[in-house]
Amino acid sequence: MSIVPQIIINSIIAGSLYALVAMGFSLIYSVTKFFNLAHGVLAAVGGYGVFFFGRMLGLPVMVAVALGILIATLVGWLLERCVFSPLRSRKSSALVLLVASLGAFTAIQALIALLFGSQFLTLAPILEGGSPFTVAGATITDVQIVLVGTALAAFVCVWLILKKTSFGKVVRATADDEEVAKIVGINTHKVIGKTFVIGSMLAGMAGILSGFDTGIEPIMGLPLLLKGVIAAIIGGMGSVPGALLGAYLLGFSENVGVWFIPGEWKDAISFSILILFLLLRPFGILGRK
Amino acid sequence: MTNALETKQLVKKFGGVVAIDRFSVQIRKGEITGIIGPNGSGKTTFINVLTGISAMDGGRVVIGDQQEKGGIKAWEVFELGIARTFQNIRLFEQMSVQDNVLIAMTKRSPLAALFERHRDIHETLVKEVLTRVGLYDKRRALAKELSYGQRKLLEIARALATSADMILFDEPFAGLFPEMVRVVSDILKELRAGEKTVVLIEHDMAIIRELCDRIIVMDAGQLLAEGMPKQVLTNPAVIEAYLGV
Repeated sequence: MSIVPQIIINSIIAGSLYALVAMGFSLIYSVTKFFNLAHGVLAAVGGYGVFFFGRMLGLPVMVAVALGILIATLVGWLLERCVFSPLRSRKSSALVLLVASLGAFTAIQALIALLFGSQFLTLAPILEGGSPFTVAGATITDVQIVLVGTALAAFVCVWLILKKTSFGKVVRATADDEEVAKIVGINTHKVIGKTFVIGSMLAGMAGILSGFDTGIEPIMGLPLLLKGVIAAIIGGMGSVPGALLGAYLLGFSENVGVWFIPGEWKDAISFSILILFLLLRPFGILGRK
Repeated sequence: MTNALETKQLVKKFGGVVAIDRFSVQIRKGEITGIIGPNGSGKTTFINVLTGISAMDGGRVVIGDQQEKGGIKAWEVFELGIARTFQNIRLFEQMSVQDNVLIAMTKRSPLAALFERHRDIHETLVKEVLTRVGLYDKRRALAKELSYGQRKLLEIARALATSADMILFDEPFAGLFPEMVRVVSDILKELRAGEKTVVLIEHDMAIIRELCDRIIVMDAGQLLAEGMPKQVLTNPAVIEAYLGV
C-alpha cells in the first residue's frame, strides 16, 4: 500500500494544529506588534481545563470543552489586561513585552505542573468511540477530522470577521497604525482586548484538540508555540491567511521530510524552513515588505 | 465670540527639553486660526498634545464651554469632536481609499461594529467626501498606491468624514500642486462657512494671510504673539523671530 495518502493526511492534521496556534498568534501580533510567547501556554490551559472539568469533575465532554476554551480565553484576556496593556501604556518596547510574555508562559506552565503534576495525561477516555476511519488508504481518527474541520472553520470565521465586518475594519486599522486609529475614535485598548479574546480562544482549541489527539502535559505549549510562530513568520506576520498557508506548508514539509530522513529531524526541518524564509523572504508568503 | 478650545499654562517636556512652555491660548469657534513659528517652535507638539498623541506634563485644556481636562487620550479626541491631519501623512496604508474614510464613520463599540454594515448613509458620505477631494475614482485603490498629493487629500477626506467640529491641519499645503492647494484652500473656507473651527499650521505666509482670521505665533514653545494677521505679521518681535527680516 502506498504511504503517500497517509503522509498527505498527516500533513493536513499537523498543519491544522499549527494553523490554530499560528492564526491567533499572528492576529495578536498584527495589533500589538510584539511576539506574545504566552500564547503557547494557553493551549495547555485549554487542555488542562478539559481535563479538570471532563475527567476530574465528570462533566459532559462538550461542556468540558466549552469551559476549557473559556478558561484559555479568560487567561489570555487577563494577561492582556493585567500585564501587556499596562506595559504598553508605559510605552514599553516590544522586547519588554516579549520578556513579560515569556515570564507569563513560564509562570502559568509551572502553575499547571503544580496543580496537575508533570506527567503525561490523556483526554481520550472522555470521548466515546474514537475508532479510526480509512480514507484512500490512509487512517484518520474522528478527533483528527474534528481538528482539521475546526482549523478550517476557525479560519473562515476569522477571515469573515476581518474582511466583512466593521469590527474587522477597526482591527485592521489598529494593526495598520494604532495611533491614527485612536485619532479617528477607535478605542484601540478595547480592540486589542477583543483580539486577544479571539486569539486565545484559538490557542485553547488547539490545546484541547491536541490533548484529545495525543495527550496533555504542562510543557505542551512550547512545541505548539514554536511551530505556530514558525508558521506565522513564514506565512507573513500579521496575516491570518498567511498563517494558515504557513502552517500547512510547515505540516507538509515536516511530514514529507520525515519520509526521507529519521523522525527526530522533524524540528530541524521546521527551523531550516524558517531560516530559509528569514534569509530569502523575511516578510513571508503573504506578509508586507 | 465663544472659544472652541482654550489652553491654560500648557506644558510639554521631552526629557530636559521644554517643548511647550506655559502656553495659554484661545481658539475661537467658527474661525480659521493659523499657528506659525520657526521650525522646532512647538507647533506640531502643541497639536500632538491636543490630540493625545503626546501626554501633557502640566496645565489644562478647556474644550467647548465646560470640559476642562488635565490630559487627553487619543481615542477620546473623536468623542470631543476633534479631528486632525499629520505633517508626515499617516494613512491606513493597507486599506483601500474608501475604507480609510469609512473607518472614520465606524461605530465606536466593537460589538456593535461586528454587526454594522456600511450602507446608504455611509456610502453617500464616502462618495461626497471623496468627490470633494477628487479621489472618488480611486476609491478601490490601496492608500499606499496613491501619489503624495493624493495621500494628503485622502488624509484630509478622512478628517472631514469624522464630522468633527474642530479640525487641526498640520501643514496640509506642503508639497501640493497649485490646483490641489486651491482644493484644500476651498475646503478650509467651506469648513469656516459651515461654522466649523479650523486650526492651521502653515509656513506659507500668503496662505496664512488669505485664510486665517487669527494667528498665533509660537517661539521656543511659548506664545510670542496672537491676533489678526495684519497686526501680527507687522509685529516687530514676530518679524525678528520668525520672518527674519
